[in-house]
Amino acid sequence: MKTMDCKDVLANLSCYLDGEGSAELRAALEKHISRCRRCRVVFDTTGRMLKIVTDTAPFEVPLSVSARLYTRLGEVLSEP
Amino acid sequence: MQKEDQSNQYVPDEDDLLLVERVLAGDRRAFEPLVRKHERRVFRLTLAVLGNIEDAEEAMQDTFVKAFRHLDQFRREARFTTWLTRIAINEAIQKRSKRKNLVPLAEAETATEQFTPKRYESWKSNPEQLYGKQEIHQIVESAIQSLPEIYREAFVLRDIEELSAEEAAEALGITVPALKSRLLRARLMLRETLAEKFEEPATLRTKIVHTAVDAGTAVAMRMMRAAGM
Repeated sequence: MKTMDCKDVLANLSCYLDGEGSAELRAALEKHISRCRRCRVVFDTTGRMLKIVTDTAPFEVPLSVSARLYTRLGEVLSEP
Repeated sequence: MQKEDQSNQYVPDEDDLLLVERVLAGDRRAFEPLVRKHERRVFRLTLAVLGNIEDAEEAMQDTFVKAFRHLDQFRREARFTTWLTRIAINEAIQKRSKRKNLVPLAEAETATEQFTPKRYESWKSNPEQLYGKQEIHQIVESAIQSLPEIYREAFVLRDIEELSAEEAAEALGITVPALKSRLLRARLMLRETLAEKFEEPATLRTKIVHTAVDAGTAVAMRMMRAAGM
């Protein structure tokens, strides 16, 4: 595989993070990021962003929203 | 962060199926535990598509009412979660298309252009620990909410609800390559937004060193010498 430039590497970021793509592609990506500080930072911090978002488990249902849902369902479930 | 492709392995969720059977057999109260289990997911999906709590709430209510009324159309070879996800996304998308001041889909075109990162400083070692639980929720949620809707929905479906690329693309009515391109952009945009909070503040020294390193060895040596390093 020919040497990848930063643009090609960035286009394959998701492949790398999601564990997709051929072994050859992954090796080429790793080779590039071991030598390119900027791409290394982008790959590392995007992976960390994903972990932070997952650990945070964002967007809980507000209590009032949940309460109104059960009120409406109560009405629907008791329809004849 | 490996994700399994779930498209070929619809493992029926036994609890969901048992509850569905009970509702269909006339025990309407059995619908409530189904709602409890899935309400957060449905809320996140409708919020991702619609972008505000009021509309998301209405779409969530309509989703569950529709699911209840059409439960006999649920095909048991699919997971209940998949079926419900489709209803939720459809409800939300329909609601969005009824909005008067609809955002033109021109922004979809930009998805094909590559997003260029602007921030290249590394992050602190455990940045999330610098903030309280509530604060980190707020930081993450407002960053996601600030994404344009086509990127936000791709991100929530894939990276929060963990649908496969195929499932997410189908639910949104777009191709898998389009979904992947939106997801990449969403991830890069979120990284950029969160970097403001999480990155290591660069000293003048590190800035010079990084600029020099990024420019290449020969230039690096010259710049560092000029800076007296």
